[in-house]
Amino acid sequence: MSRGSSGLSEQTYFVLAALLDGPLHGHAIIKRVVDLSQGRITLAVGTLYGALDRLAANGVIVVEREEVVNGRKRRYFRISDEGGQLVRAEAERMQQAASVVTRRALGATFG
Amino acid sequence: MTELERRYRWLLRAYPPGYRADYEDELLDVLLATAGPGQARPPLREVRALLVGGIKARVIAAAQGPAWMDGLHLTVTVLSVLQLGVLIPYAGTIPLWVALSALALLAVLRGRMWAALPLVAATGLKVVGVTYGEPWLDGTLLPVFPDRLWQAPALYGTGGPIAPSISYLVLFFCLAVLAIRGRPSRRRSWWWLLALPLVAGADPAWLDIAEGTSSSITRVGLEAALLAGAAYAGHLTGDARWAVAAGVCLVPATAVLAENVELASRQGVAHAALLILLTATAAAVPFRARRRILL
Repeated sequence: MSRGSSGLSEQTYFVLAALLDGPLHGHAIIKRVVDLSQGRITLAVGTLYGALDRLAANGVIVVEREEVVNGRKRRYFRISDEGGQLVRAEAERMQQAASVVTRRALGATFG
Repeated sequence: MTELERRYRWLLRAYPPGYRADYEDELLDVLLATAGPGQARPPLREVRALLVGGIKARVIAAAQGPAWMDGLHLTVTVLSVLQLGVLIPYAGTIPLWVALSALALLAVLRGRMWAALPLVAATGLKVVGVTYGEPWLDGTLLPVFPDRLWQAPALYGTGGPIAPSISYLVLFFCLAVLAIRGRPSRRRSWWWLLALPLVAGADPAWLDIAEGTSSSITRVGLEAALLAGAAYAGHLTGDARWAVAAGVCLVPATAVLAENVELASRQGVAHAALLILLTATAAAVPFRARRRILL
């Protein structure tokens, strides 16, 4: 998977984007990523939890709280301030990269 | 328990026990929530993700504690396996020394460095005696021929005495460092014993890669897999313990080539170059991974 200059993979970018609106648990993150990517990215559970562990170990996300549902533990993850800065910087980088092409296309249309 | 849950629980065994105790139910909850109605088998992409995730979690769990000391413990584990492997075909002729070597390996796996030290010292002295043609410590008839099942030269009958001496000295020195630092070492997995049949009878000095025998191919494959695994683990964690083990184990491996350089085939030199390249990669990767957090 290609990585941006920040080292974020596309999957990780969408996981962080999913958490921008508030804390979510694992299954909710998977569903939110499907929505945000318009069905393009469906995370496998093993992949998601590997990413969540890595992001939590690096302080990019934190465990907001734990609940027990049907006798099973469920963690809710929240994006940290550092994580918010990281994902916004990546968004700006991609926007700038996209504009290199889209400006040219617009120039060809109107010029 | 449904068939799907039973299969997922089996797959989750790829994760280390501590991780499973904390998060198995949580992962299972999400896995079952994402399953389609009536689904009995996990999809292939989920199987792959769980196996890869489990291996990564195990590597991360292994990168705990002081890297240098654990790297040295890995080193003595690898060298003990190799040295017992060399002796196995001669078990019928020198059972005492093979038994002492096996006990040394068990002590190393259990983290008992003080117990392993005299065993390695005694076995090493005997082996060095054999390489010099001297029946030290007991009246072993030299040369020591293999048991009938094995098609191998006499024990240390090819190659010189320097490489085996260096190998035992490196092992003894690392054991001494681990023993005198005072703190107990962790226990190593019994899975290490599975490497024994793969390296049995493979004295590196008569490892003739040019002939392409199954034992030489197995050994080269095992070395490459272990070193590639060390590089991957260093890449994932930024931890140097696997690099330490790879680097120290390269010393006796290089000594074999240096001592037998006149007899080395082109393939033998290529094999040594491969070992050096993979070890250098394993050594460099953790420092690069530390500079750039992998997200």
